[in-house]
Amino acid sequence: MAQRDITKEEIQAVYPTVAQILADALGCDVDRVKLDASLIEDLDAESIDFLDLVFRLERAFKVKIPRGKIVEDARGDLPESDFEQKGLVTEVGLKRLREFLSEVPPERFRTPMKSADIPRLFTPETFCKVVVRAQRAAQGSP
Amino acid sequence: MAEHFSAFSFVDRITELEAGTRAKGQFAVPDGLPYFPACLVAEAVGQLAAWVAMHHAGFRRRPVAGLAGETRFLGEVTPGQCLDLEVEIESCDDEAVAYGGCARVAGAKVLDLSHCVGPMLPLEDFDAPEAVQGRFQVLRDGGAPSGGFRGVVPPELVVIDRRPGERVRAALHVPAAAPFFADHFPRRAVFPGTLLLDSQIRLARGLADELPRPGASPLVPARVTDVKIRSFIVPGQAIELEAQLSRVGDVVGATLTARSNGKQIATGRLELAPREVA
Repeated sequence: MAQRDITKEEIQAVYPTVAQILADALGCDVDRVKLDASLIEDLDAESIDFLDLVFRLERAFKVKIPRGKIVEDARGDLPESDFEQKGLVTEVGLKRLREFLSEVPPERFRTPMKSADIPRLFTPETFCKVVVRAQRAAQGSP
Repeated sequence: MAEHFSAFSFVDRITELEAGTRAKGQFAVPDGLPYFPACLVAEAVGQLAAWVAMHHAGFRRRPVAGLAGETRFLGEVTPGQCLDLEVEIESCDDEAVAYGGCARVAGAKVLDLSHCVGPMLPLEDFDAPEAVQGRFQVLRDGGAPSGGFRGVVPPELVVIDRRPGERVRAALHVPAAAPFFADHFPRRAVFPGTLLLDSQIRLARGLADELPRPGASPLVPARVTDVKIRSFIVPGQAIELEAQLSRVGDVVGATLTARSNGKQIATGRLELAPREVA
């Protein structure tokens, strides 16, 4: 079943909580958390912060967010070898990422892109979408 | 190696195990130690969770450092007492283990841990997997002899600057060598996060003691929240600790930060409360 697009209203419904959780996880002021900020480049997030963030979101929204979910969902039905090769995201993979992470400003997609650098694209809105998808999954809706 | 599984090991036996889900265990705090810091009670609970996680991961991965959402200190533990440990694993996969747990002495809860997360890393980078698996069997089959832990010498804190009752910065020189490094961990020495936290609490208590509180009972650690270890601390590393106080009624809060080379490597929040309240 095709996924419904996530609406602005759905994002706005979860954003205040996501922003507060991000601020708590990163130890920064909530005012610094902008919807399109790069968590790594603008808010100095590290891998431990992403782990922290996912567990906090799970507790706050009472949903399950499998680790690695964002990249897995972006890849979709594309075989892993078509998505990345030798640690670099392929052209096709990059197209999938651009579509899936539509909230990320286009200029942030650099080529070539290392797979390990994908989290550099993530923004607060990326995690709002993760929460909305997890909520839909919990309710059994696409 | 005499220190392996003794110099910094705080589970003597695993008495109950529901694979990947929960466990109970024990640790006898050796008699004759000068004291047993509360942070090491938390370490004991974390180590029991680590055993469950390593067993669940087939001894391929182990949790190292990470996050402790909330630690509540509910009572002091003195040498000679036996800790009854208990952990509940919320989730465990190749990336992380999430857990909570507690420690009791003679039925009374002395420490409660919740919302802890340990990143799971390749076990072989830190220890010999077959040795760890063998030790697990020993802990399950009747347990290991107690008394291996000989105590730790708290690292010296050298004050860099202070605003009495408000804020203090101090240098902590992680020892270049210490028995616990051979146990934590044999293949890669890491300064334990709980020892860092112990030093941070010492620093904050010293600062809080300067507050004017006429007639009030001494402040003791009641709760630590949002502890996050961002990077490994290695033998000999120079660290700068900072504690900043805020006060709400009887409870004194402290923001704890550790930095190395200008980078934040650990953070947390401490609450100190008068002894009778804590």
